[in-house]
Amino acid sequence: MKVVPSRSSEWVRPVTSQRPASAIIEIDRVSQVFQTSTRKDHVALSDISLTIEEGAFVSILGPSGCGKSTLLYIVGGFVSPTRGTARMKGQPITGPGPDRGPVFQEFALFPWKTVLGNVMYGPRQQGVRATEAEAHSRMLIQMVGLKGYENFYPKELSGGMKQRVALARTLAYHPEVLLMDEPFGALDAHTRTRLQNDLLNIWERDRKTVLFVTHSVDEAVFLSDKVVMMSKSPGRIGEVIDIDLPRPRRRNELLLDPRYQKYVVEIERMFDESDEVGSAS
Amino acid sequence: MTRRAAPVLACVGLLAVWQIASLALESDSFPTALEAIRTIPDILGDKESLINILASLRRMAIGFGIAVLVSIPLGLSMGRSRAVAAFFNPLLMVIYPVPKAALMPIIMLWLGVGDITKTLVIFLGVSLPVIYHSFEGAKAVEEKMLWSGAAMGLSPLRRLVRIVLPAALPEILTGCRTGLVLALITMITSEMIARQSGAGNILFNALDMGQYDTVYAMIIIVGAMGICLDAVFERIRARLVRWSEPQFDMPLSFS
Repeated sequence: MKVVPSRSSEWVRPVTSQRPASAIIEIDRVSQVFQTSTRKDHVALSDISLTIEEGAFVSILGPSGCGKSTLLYIVGGFVSPTRGTARMKGQPITGPGPDRGPVFQEFALFPWKTVLGNVMYGPRQQGVRATEAEAHSRMLIQMVGLKGYENFYPKELSGGMKQRVALARTLAYHPEVLLMDEPFGALDAHTRTRLQNDLLNIWERDRKTVLFVTHSVDEAVFLSDKVVMMSKSPGRIGEVIDIDLPRPRRRNELLLDPRYQKYVVEIERMFDESDEVGSAS
Repeated sequence: MTRRAAPVLACVGLLAVWQIASLALESDSFPTALEAIRTIPDILGDKESLINILASLRRMAIGFGIAVLVSIPLGLSMGRSRAVAAFFNPLLMVIYPVPKAALMPIIMLWLGVGDITKTLVIFLGVSLPVIYHSFEGAKAVEEKMLWSGAAMGLSPLRRLVRIVLPAALPEILTGCRTGLVLALITMITSEMIARQSGAGNILFNALDMGQYDTVYAMIIIVGAMGICLDAVFERIRARLVRWSEPQFDMPLSFS
């Protein structure tokens, strides 16, 4: 199978009032301009349009500083775009909400709560009864592989374990979309691989929509249905590549699969090209 | 074992140095440590003195309590809102360097020499460190932690109470500990200026009358009060912020 990079124009269609039935997130001509400390305008995102389909695992791949995290924060409602709008199920996003659950690179756990307390926090906040929230949370803690650590505090856990807790904490309040901001970026290679496998196992059960920001080509190809490539200064969307690999995916099978290898090599090549263009300008 | 013995040893050492110095100086205004200690039961046994000391402690508790209740919300709001910080910062910067006892004569003109004046001075003394530490603690709260809360549907006010407050608690309690010591100091100085009742009143009256045994005995009593209050506070603090203590710093080796 050949990698056919679809032209960006095919995928990045202008958003009309008639949204496709399966679209869950629409990013409509969004720009983000920051004022730097020297009072210069820094264009982090320039006129970005993108549609995310329901149930898709979509990675946003780009070099550091290309604004990919900013784009995720706009979808999360944590940051308001300078221009343009983002929509969730047709409704303009004006702030954070439990329909979009973030998982951050920094884990951002509540250090004064135990593992169980962290996972229960969201459901309790939404008025779920304590016994019910606890049973559900214990099940999630087991699912992310932390059975037996329910009463540990975040400080007592390693980075990988913290990110497992963060994932369980977000899954606990049933967001429709998972927003993952380089979630494995702070972890060592071995831990990273294990968490990728586990995330994929969990995702393949219920196929929630995932928007996953990363700068790792392997990670993006291994996990995603679609890889959206972003380039730097100003942040723009480049190629959008469909990853047509069978699921469920198993790492040991996939690494030997020539199709997987081809995707990785092709995307790395495009990555280098856009990087050279970026640094030349 | 040694950790427990060390503070006792330090106190005994201090008293020993005092005893030797006083014997060497042979001054009437410098009683020996033993003489001062022997006077303590007399003071604590005297009903009027006891009433005075309890009145001091009551004012201190009220002043400290109100200060903490006002300062923590103020400091936290300042730490999370630039507008609130911009408004209150200059005001606090003006009050901070002024010795609170220096304000006392003015306050006395308005409110008299009674409990309200003294409690207000204690309140002012305690407020600033508690505001400052609450402010710093709130400022340092990780943005992403607040975002996580916002995604769960917490309103800004609930985020302040349910996330900023507990996250900043170790820092807030550091401020409260400083505040507690300052409460004791301002308690005594306020009674020094407005002599009417209290532990400071006993101390300075004795000084006027040349009862140096009583003066030194009162210094020991006030010092002991400070040590006890600090020890009790430290126990409470350690319980509240167990999750942030350094012995929890060793992560398990498991991905």
